[in-house]
Amino acid sequence: MVGKILIYLSFAFSILGVVSFFLVHTGKEKYLKPARVFYLLTATFVITTSALLMYMILTHQFQYSYVWQQSNRELGLALLISTFYAGQEGSFMLWTLMTAIIGIFLLRYVSKGDRLEPEVMSVYSLVLGFLTFILILKSPFNYVWDTYAGDVAPGFIPADGRGLNPLLQNFWMSIHPPTLFVGFSAMAVPFCFAIGTLIKNKYDEWISYSLPWLLFAGGVLVLGIMLGGYWAYGVLGWGGYWAWDPVENSSLIPWIIIVAAIHTMIAQKRTGGYKKTNLILCILSYLLVLYSTFLTRSGVLGDSSVHSFVDPGKEVYISLVVFMLTFLAIGIGAVIYRAKELKTFDSGSKNILTRESALFVGAVTLCASALVVFAGTSWPIIASGSIEQDFYNKMNLPIAILISFINGMSLLLKWKTNDEKTFFKSLLFPLIITCVITFALVIVGVQDFIFALFAFAAIFAFFVNAEIAITIFKKNKSGIGAYVAHIGLSLFFLGIIASSRYSQDVNLTLELNKPVEAFGYRLTYLGATEFEDPNNQTDSKYHFNIRVQQDGKELLLKPVMYFSSFSEGVMKNPDIANFFARDLYLSPMGLVEPETFTKDQIHEIPKGKSKDIGALNVEFIDFNFGGILPGGEEVRSGNFTVGAKLKVSDNKFSEVIEPKIEYKNGVPSYFVAKMSDKPNLNFYFAKMNVSNTGNGEAPTASIAIVNTDETPMHIPEESLVINASIKPFINILWAGTAILVIGFFISIYRRRKDL
Amino acid sequence: MNKSLIGAIIIIVFLAIGFFSFMDSKIEYVNFADARDIHKKVEVKGQWVKDKESNFDSGTNTFTFWMKDDYNNEMKVILDGGKPNNFEVADAIVVKGKVKDGTFMASEVLTKCPSKYEATGEEIKNSGY
Repeated sequence: MVGKILIYLSFAFSILGVVSFFLVHTGKEKYLKPARVFYLLTATFVITTSALLMYMILTHQFQYSYVWQQSNRELGLALLISTFYAGQEGSFMLWTLMTAIIGIFLLRYVSKGDRLEPEVMSVYSLVLGFLTFILILKSPFNYVWDTYAGDVAPGFIPADGRGLNPLLQNFWMSIHPPTLFVGFSAMAVPFCFAIGTLIKNKYDEWISYSLPWLLFAGGVLVLGIMLGGYWAYGVLGWGGYWAWDPVENSSLIPWIIIVAAIHTMIAQKRTGGYKKTNLILCILSYLLVLYSTFLTRSGVLGDSSVHSFVDPGKEVYISLVVFMLTFLAIGIGAVIYRAKELKTFDSGSKNILTRESALFVGAVTLCASALVVFAGTSWPIIASGSIEQDFYNKMNLPIAILISFINGMSLLLKWKTNDEKTFFKSLLFPLIITCVITFALVIVGVQDFIFALFAFAAIFAFFVNAEIAITIFKKNKSGIGAYVAHIGLSLFFLGIIASSRYSQDVNLTLELNKPVEAFGYRLTYLGATEFEDPNNQTDSKYHFNIRVQQDGKELLLKPVMYFSSFSEGVMKNPDIANFFARDLYLSPMGLVEPETFTKDQIHEIPKGKSKDIGALNVEFIDFNFGGILPGGEEVRSGNFTVGAKLKVSDNKFSEVIEPKIEYKNGVPSYFVAKMSDKPNLNFYFAKMNVSNTGNGEAPTASIAIVNTDETPMHIPEESLVINASIKPFINILWAGTAILVIGFFISIYRRRKDL
Repeated sequence: MNKSLIGAIIIIVFLAIGFFSFMDSKIEYVNFADARDIHKKVEVKGQWVKDKESNFDSGTNTFTFWMKDDYNNEMKVILDGGKPNNFEVADAIVVKGKVKDGTFMASEVLTKCPSKYEATGEEIKNSGY
């Protein structure tokens, strides 16, 4: 009850905030103090609500549906905390919480100096208004007896919760979603600045003080995205770090736009051009965040994603649409409102060979990439069908090449002036180095033209940036952020080329203790061992131990498979040997239990019928249950013996024999029967097939005849089927992303100093 | 003027390439009957036919099963890969691939199991003291 009241209070105060900040904008200065208090109260209530939800989770208050649905008593502290955002309601709560907290810093920031405080905070409060409204509709504070009215009586407290989806039970669950939501929440800030500045009709100052926020949003978002990528790669065993899944795409699209905006804003800061571009990109980036939320939360993509989408209900669907359309209307409305002023701005530099033109072309190229991803991701809601992953790869490959070239070249160009001579001269050195290295790569094996070109472009960008970074570092250490980020991106691109284009994979069947060679490694399956998972004691989890040997060195990889009672299916986690120049990635596919008999040894014969098998005629007369009832207690308990009476005839003799099968706890053992004149033929009763459907079909017996002259009795060991793959230089990819993120944060530090 | 003309041409070329590549990559939702006549990749939604053969062949790394689409057409499906996660409990499955000689050669299978993630009243009844 308290939780619901707190949400209502947050909503009420956020709306008061919207109104009073707007009144301040219209000149009623006396409302400024109350407006600030309203915002701080909104944030306080949101934080209190979140704290309450966390408290309920930590104290296992299963009378709340959300707590019951997402957690249980078994989970360790870290995972228990992460159940806060494991479901729809909680992840909206997390988004709201992060938005509220960021807003506190934003309020402090805009209240210093002339930074559009009333306009920005009015729009920002509206964001919180919508988020808290969704929480009213989709509350994590419902009691189980309300959610499941009719099933349980009021006051009912479940003894334990359902627990957390096993796919989410790992370390990354603790950091990936919170990071992503900080990024998502921070994306609201550039939007608010753009709208604020349009309302104020001032188009220059906002660039400087909103840039750190764009850098923050971009840096955190890309960190969140790549943490998710590492999760998919290292734990979930999706085979790669990126699958162009709608959920992944929907955080990538706004990120690309914000990166484009960062570049054109720097161009505006230096030259005064691109005013319209910046406004539009900042508005667009948050609209795309909202559109992404709509795509992934409303259930519209239900059929086309590996992420599971639960239909949140009509009210949430409608409020997400209204949220999106309102902000679209605000964005378009503000631009139209100022259309006359905006028209007077010229379209930037006239000269193509300047830094600002290059940045603009780069931004357009980035937008093209966003458009590709946007079109592909949106397609399922326009038509019934989907888009092949290959579409994204095919289209983004040339774009990435172009971006690398533009990146390298733009830094050699000068602001405002066109100095062709120095430009071409400065191109010379990086181009020579790039040619040499690319040539070496081609010799090593990078021989597709398009990938060689991609490598060329990335190496070019790498060297231009590295050269500048070194020069700048000597003078101004914090000025290297952009170059560090670009170096990270170039390495990331090189990592993509190596790890995806030149990855190899093979399926292997590893028989117990029999070494198999693959990619120069000797792999031996050593059997499975059960291990304890403190977060999940319900299921028995197994390591499938594989010894990896190469050049006298050895290590043990332990991919995991287990039957999850939560998902009612087999869960599989890969294991990875991380070497300097490659990853060996072992993904378990299944365990093949030994078959006692081979397929051609087994013959299925209906009761009362006979079958010619080689020179013999075998008639299956009847089962012999030895006095127990078929279908009786003994049979159901899995402890019984049954025989199959067979009449075996060749052209001379006829003989009745009875092989038996004995079950102990459902595990069969076989008792051989032989004909008196054929000691080499072993008859086994392999399986009885009694149809329970009552459709009148006769029961059958599967009889195995093993000729010991032809086949010595060989019982194979169990084998593990795995997919083994090699990901060359994937370390470069991860290092590249880390460097990229570091670059963002160096830049934030530097821009903060600029203010 | 010259600059914007070049820009316009690049944008048009990009959009044209994008459009054709898009048309090439889009996968339609169809049923098995239509899938026989379309010689490109399609998606079919339906249910696993549990009482027909299903097995994993570790030699070819394929998983074979029978599937019934929403219009009750049945077809044998050979998936390039192992049995997908949650296959047994899926309410519905979506297969992506092409029909070849009367068999659906799937490159990907998505399993849909919303009911597993949405708790039911039945479940909470059984979770009391």
